Amino acid sequence: MKNQFSDSSLKTEYSTATAVAKPVIIRLENIYKIYGSGETQVQALRDINLIIEEGEYCSIMGASGSGKSTAMNIIGCLDRPSSGHYYLDRVDVSSLADAELAKIRNKKLGFVFQQFHLLQQLSAVENVMLPMVYAGIPTQERRDRAVEALTKVGLANRLNNKPNQLSGGQQQRVAIARAIVNRPVVLLADEPTGALDSKTTQEVMDIFTELNASGITVVMVTHEPDVARQTKRIVWFRDGEVLHSHLTPEEIGHVAV
Amino acid sequence: MDIVESVKMAATTLTANKLRSSLTMLGIIIGNASVIAMVGIGQGAQRLASEQFESLGPNVLFILPGNQNAQRNRDLPRTLVLEDAQAIARQVPSVSEVAPQIQSQQSVVYRNKNTSTQIFGVTPEFLTVRSFDIAKGRFFSEQDIKSNNQVAVLGSDVVNKMFAGSDPIGERIRVRNLSFTVIGVMQPKGSFLGSNQDDAVYIPLTTMANRLRGRTSPYGLLVDFIAVSAKDTNSIGAAQFQIGNLLRLRHKITNQDDFTIRTQRDVLTIVGTITNGLTLMLAAIAGISLLVGGIGVMNIMLVSVTERTHEIGLRKAIGATEQDILIQFMIEAIILSAVGGAIGTLIGVGGVTLVSVVSPLKAGISPAAILVATGVSGGIGLFFGVVPARRAAKLDPIVALRSA
Repeated sequence: MKNQFSDSSLKTEYSTATAVAKPVIIRLENIYKIYGSGETQVQALRDINLIIEEGEYCSIMGASGSGKSTAMNIIGCLDRPSSGHYYLDRVDVSSLADAELAKIRNKKLGFVFQQFHLLQQLSAVENVMLPMVYAGIPTQERRDRAVEALTKVGLANRLNNKPNQLSGGQQQRVAIARAIVNRPVVLLADEPTGALDSKTTQEVMDIFTELNASGITVVMVTHEPDVARQTKRIVWFRDGEVLHSHLTPEEIGHVAV
Repeated sequence: MDIVESVKMAATTLTANKLRSSLTMLGIIIGNASVIAMVGIGQGAQRLASEQFESLGPNVLFILPGNQNAQRNRDLPRTLVLEDAQAIARQVPSVSEVAPQIQSQQSVVYRNKNTSTQIFGVTPEFLTVRSFDIAKGRFFSEQDIKSNNQVAVLGSDVVNKMFAGSDPIGERIRVRNLSFTVIGVMQPKGSFLGSNQDDAVYIPLTTMANRLRGRTSPYGLLVDFIAVSAKDTNSIGAAQFQIGNLLRLRHKITNQDDFTIRTQRDVLTIVGTITNGLTLMLAAIAGISLLVGGIGVMNIMLVSVTERTHEIGLRKAIGATEQDILIQFMIEAIILSAVGGAIGTLIGVGGVTLVSVVSPLKAGISPAAILVATGVSGGIGLFFGVVPARRAAKLDPIVALRSA
């Protein structure tokens, strides 16, 4: 079994290599994440090497504790690797200071969380405007762009609703609008459909698919095969290592079983 | 992110969490208001006391019958008599004037009006020794004393109560069943230690003693009080010593004095001790309120930052720097402290003003108290608003996000 998939991943690797070289957006080199020390030391990530190119629609799968979320947090600059190098858009972010990382998170990355993480006291449009506040964009442009982003996710009629007046799916769409409003180079999502029912899951996935079709690189962590199958490439984590880096949606069923 | 933006954001957060904001401000308000009010009232009390003693007249000594230090001889015969006053005037070189007095609460009648007031039997020296002034008419003379004349000088409050605007000079008032001709009106003097000095009627000491309320002992005519003015400030001590010796001789005293001599300074010291104690106590109460208010602010701020670590994580995740977070929390703390401080100051100043309107305490508004109170409560608010936020802002975003 294992050989079969290794072969297929090799095949994919080969095919990418022959295709027209696209700019690399994410490059993880020998990334380790270690918690604790001494005997209680836990290696959450072991020697991760991963390349994601511009325009990819990629999902990261794996069992609980496989390190997929840890890797995602490092990719999203929310967490730092213990060692190794992470190049985002050709910049080595593993060596950046806190303020520079904040700028990267603000301008180059859009992050969607499982629990939405909207600020309850702000309306939908104000939540979407928030990243632009930190980017120093003028007020009027902020509002225009926030409205545009919310329109893109189909919430043009919910601009002034507070999060508690929105359904889970709607809240997640506000969060997606917030993630794309600063035009990031990559849109990251950690279990974006984990808190949603199957119908709203499909609505949210449609938005991701659409955004990818418009050229945005999308990387998401999920444990739902139905979700992963809608992406174009699946990276499989096990025990803190990348087991498969280029599964196709068709191959998912076998692994999941 | 610029400051205007931060202020707007802080204002949004504060108004969105009205309960939390008002609870935080409440601590600052209570602390501020109590310090300002208490210090104001304390200062008012001190000012009132010292003003009153200045109004007693300069270089004054008081001789009272009985000995307030003695515990056992409460039934000591009252032996301070008019002849003592005369002897002091004659024999003590450091004394300039002597004003003995007898007093009695009596009903005063003018036509159909009737009021109960304090009747003082005094001598002409009363005016100079006690620094009283005549507003209208004249004070009584030696002649009035000698011939037991039934003349009276009225305190300004008695005039207001009985004569309602008409001129009292030459009118006749009745005390008990005696008729007195009003010959003068006193200048208002204000109250002294809570007793109104303007609600009084002054008559010649002899008239008082012989016709109204005279009590004699085997030694002579008893007086309630002798006020003595020393020649100058430097001779107050000498006067006290000489009067003491003279009275001991006259009363044939070998051990325990049967009189008490107090100088103005003695009284000032006593009252000063009391008002200082009062101010200290008020300051302590105010300090405790400030502390309690501060603890309240601290608690709310600490809980708030813990609650908001999640928000801090999210803000960092979408691009806020540590500095952005700090500035936001600092501005929130500044707004709370400033608004709370302003409201507290208003309440404190209002309380102080109210006290000085409804009571004789001319409570002062102390800029120092306002500064200290606002500074301390604002400092507490700022410190506990920013320091925990700083710790939260230093966390990696994912750690802060998970800690919700």
